[in-house]
Amino acid sequence: MKIHSVSPIKFNQRVANSLEKFSEQGGEKIANYINAAGKFAIAPLMILYNPFTKEPKENKKWAAIKQPVEAVITIAAQIMSLNLLYKGIDKLAQKGKLNFKLVQDAIKGGEIPKAVMQASGGDRAKAIKNLQKTCLDIFKDRAGTILTIALFVPVLAISNRIFPVIADLLTKDNDD
Amino acid sequence: MIKPITQSKIFNNHLKRVISDDAFAAKAIVVCSVMKDVFAYSVRYKTTMENKKIPEKRRPFVAAMDLASGIVTAIAQIAVGFSIANPKLQNALWNKMFKNAQFKHIDAAKKSFATILALIGSGVITERIIVPLMATPFAAFMERKFFKHIPQDTNNKKFSNYPFSTPAKNSVFKNFISFRTNKI
Repeated sequence: MKIHSVSPIKFNQRVANSLEKFSEQGGEKIANYINAAGKFAIAPLMILYNPFTKEPKENKKWAAIKQPVEAVITIAAQIMSLNLLYKGIDKLAQKGKLNFKLVQDAIKGGEIPKAVMQASGGDRAKAIKNLQKTCLDIFKDRAGTILTIALFVPVLAISNRIFPVIADLLTKDNDD
Repeated sequence: MIKPITQSKIFNNHLKRVISDDAFAAKAIVVCSVMKDVFAYSVRYKTTMENKKIPEKRRPFVAAMDLASGIVTAIAQIAVGFSIANPKLQNALWNKMFKNAQFKHIDAAKKSFATILALIGSGVITERIIVPLMATPFAAFMERKFFKHIPQDTNNKKFSNYPFSTPAKNSVFKNFISFRTNKI
């Protein structure tokens, strides 16, 4: 396996390792994680400390609590559903029902994208295998986006039911 | 149903570009992410149009504001995401951060790096910080300039679907702003 660069710096290396690990999740899951993290951590702060909004503190608190509650419910639903979807797609692929033209052309002796060929060390058989996996991952990402969109309405409905209960519990002491 | 997709020229060209071009791969994920938001804005538009608590005369305008804010946010997200995905910027950042780091699969890591940064730029910084901060003064300005003639509604209940309606703040724009600043 080709290892790039030398003389590792501890912090950079740790970030690099995390990046590699995170990248294995695939684009759609990464997008959902980042969106949930923003909603969980940034959105409440923006609501509470936006200097331009002149709203009662209690109103701000309620709206701020809504964000992390919704973020947790959304990401849990998304990851569970995406895992199921990806498993289904993998099963279809194993049964030979997902044949990408790009891969079929490569098997017939056609062109293999340079990036895949390089990553496979010039080994054509390995490159075809990698190409199939890469195509499948991209297909999963796009199908995942459609699933995430379809989940939006039910997830929002669940979150709208749960959030007032949590907000009420968290602000109860202040109201009393 | 799947075969026409996996065999289609458009999808296979898309696959080819995502594999060969890191910037395109990052942009594709940003577009997918923005598509989700666009869907959310459309749902919001629909629920506003169907919300009987908003006076019928004002409903289309309030809904149009929801939609307009969604479109502006989506455009801003795409602009920022695409700029961050730019290969020159990516290379500069990569060299600065990971000059001495070791990678098992450097190409995959580079692709993810571009995607993650573009997503943070568009979905966190633009959508959650810049837009909410700018929305309030911008709407106040718009209201002052163009919508002075819209009569103020003194009945608080009419806008009770919005999170922060108070009798003094019942103008269409201020409701719109409360909504944007406390985006769902």
